[in-house]
Amino acid sequence: MPNTATSSGAGAPAGEGGRARPQALPILASSDRGPRASGPLARPATPRPPSPAAAAAGGYQLALQQLTDSALPTGAFAHSLGFETYIERGLVHDEASFGVWLSAFVGQQLTYSDGVAIRFLFEGADVGELDSLLSAQLLPRQLREASVKMGGRLLEIGDEVFPSPELAVYRELVTTGRAAGHQPLAFAVVARSLGVPLPEALAAYLFAAVTSLTQNAVRAIPLGQNAGQRLLRKASDDVAAAVERIGRLAPDDFGAVSPGLEISQMRHERQRARMFMS
Amino acid sequence: MSQNSSAVISPWAASAEEGGRARFAVPATPRPPSSATADRPVRGRLELGIKVPNGKSIASTQFHQGALRILRPHYLDESGQVCYVMVNPGGAYLGADLYVIDVEVGDGAKLLLTTQSATKIYRTPGSFAEQRMTLRLGEGAQLELAPDQLIAYREASYRQNTLITLTPSSSLVMAEVITPGWSPDGASFRYEELRLRTEIHVEAGGGTELLALDNLLIRPSLNDVTGMGFMEGRSHLGSLVVVDSRVDQALADELHALSAGHDAYTGVSLTASLGGTTGLVLRSLSDSTEELNRLLGACTALLRGQWYGQAPLDLRKY
Repeated sequence: MPNTATSSGAGAPAGEGGRARPQALPILASSDRGPRASGPLARPATPRPPSPAAAAAGGYQLALQQLTDSALPTGAFAHSLGFETYIERGLVHDEASFGVWLSAFVGQQLTYSDGVAIRFLFEGADVGELDSLLSAQLLPRQLREASVKMGGRLLEIGDEVFPSPELAVYRELVTTGRAAGHQPLAFAVVARSLGVPLPEALAAYLFAAVTSLTQNAVRAIPLGQNAGQRLLRKASDDVAAAVERIGRLAPDDFGAVSPGLEISQMRHERQRARMFMS
Repeated sequence: MSQNSSAVISPWAASAEEGGRARFAVPATPRPPSSATADRPVRGRLELGIKVPNGKSIASTQFHQGALRILRPHYLDESGQVCYVMVNPGGAYLGADLYVIDVEVGDGAKLLLTTQSATKIYRTPGSFAEQRMTLRLGEGAQLELAPDQLIAYREASYRQNTLITLTPSSSLVMAEVITPGWSPDGASFRYEELRLRTEIHVEAGGGTELLALDNLLIRPSLNDVTGMGFMEGRSHLGSLVVVDSRVDQALADELHALSAGHDAYTGVSLTASLGGTTGLVLRSLSDSTEELNRLLGACTALLRGQWYGQAPLDLRKY
């Protein structure tokens, strides 16, 4: 889909294509005018093909943003995935201590379980088989239930907003009880059907998980909003490292757990006062 | 069977790594060859088949080769459960060593399988040491697996792949302790890598389904594993895995309550249920083998009393 001629910088979110110039948005809106758009920022001289960013925006970029937006109603706000246990023990109590937990979570859980599952799906592994691997590997009950709960919502939303034959197959497995419907797989099926390249899909998924966990920590600890933003910026290094590592892992690595994270997720089942379901 | 069943459980597994490397354009890092393809000598082999001809369980088949032996069977009580003790006469696992253990507990048979002493992994330059264990439990079969603790020395690398297949009426209890290892300078976690990967499959509806995948990977050489989010400042790790149709939330709660009396950080949770049976996993961090043995011993004592009518396990090693 031809779009604005003003975007530059491959990979930049389309909405920021105009580099913070206020005129960017109106130009984005007038996409029907094509690359020769005569807005104030367009270069009139020679016609040129859409920039990579513009092409991506027309392809999967905006869809991917919608899919990973923290406003996507999957219920992520209700899950700490174990960090609430650390809060209760007094070990996570401020920006720095949550940062340590978040870094461990990205480097372990999100890398070896969610990330590897997404990669294998992109590489053609059977979704039903991956689904049963995840169900078997997520040993803490609340963690398994969280993955299935958020996965179920993602499957529903995906069915309405990003339907595809692959998604229909996975939904069918879930509705007939042959698969549980895990969040990373629901995401991966949709992202793959949208043509998102694997590294981008991984980075987007991991960063979305990090974002909702950080937002939850901001409410629960509590932290200031700016502290949350600082944490996210720092976590982006962990996300980049995780994407790189996920690409190098072998099938034997799938589901490798950290005992500490796992025990804390298990103990959350018995925590008396809690804000989160996991 | 156990030769190729090690860890690769799906047809896609073999190609996944290649695809990933190409796609990410990451230079191939030197890795030890995968266990499925490695041409490594079998240092020790042990095969054991247990049957119950007349109320007392006993080996109907028994075979050992190389650096794995088994002691004469004995009976610790009147339950008919036979106890076999595995022995590694060499005393330790070395680099590129492969140990293959294959155990079948027939319908209604009861086996307690333990070791004579700690499993020690010495320096493994070049290639990791590996143990591949295949366990099959028949209808109503009962297996208690209670090895001594695992100690990895400086620069040791070890993989333990355990593949368990059981029926919904089988009963499995396995306990394991991993120490922080040992090095001459007294520092902990000086080994390269420990991988303990266990798959538990349940025979249901004519096929088998994966009930639990427990994959423990500790790589002190790559990351600091001592702190928050990994070992939580503790040095020893204990695991208890139970699969039995009698496993339920009440049992999980009971074991959790039991753990409270120990100097350990412990979690208990249940797997999904498959074919009428359920798994329970207890994971615990502590600072000594003794404390974890006390905790795991208390848990198995409870199960032995409630389910099997047996007294707590008392293994006098000799």
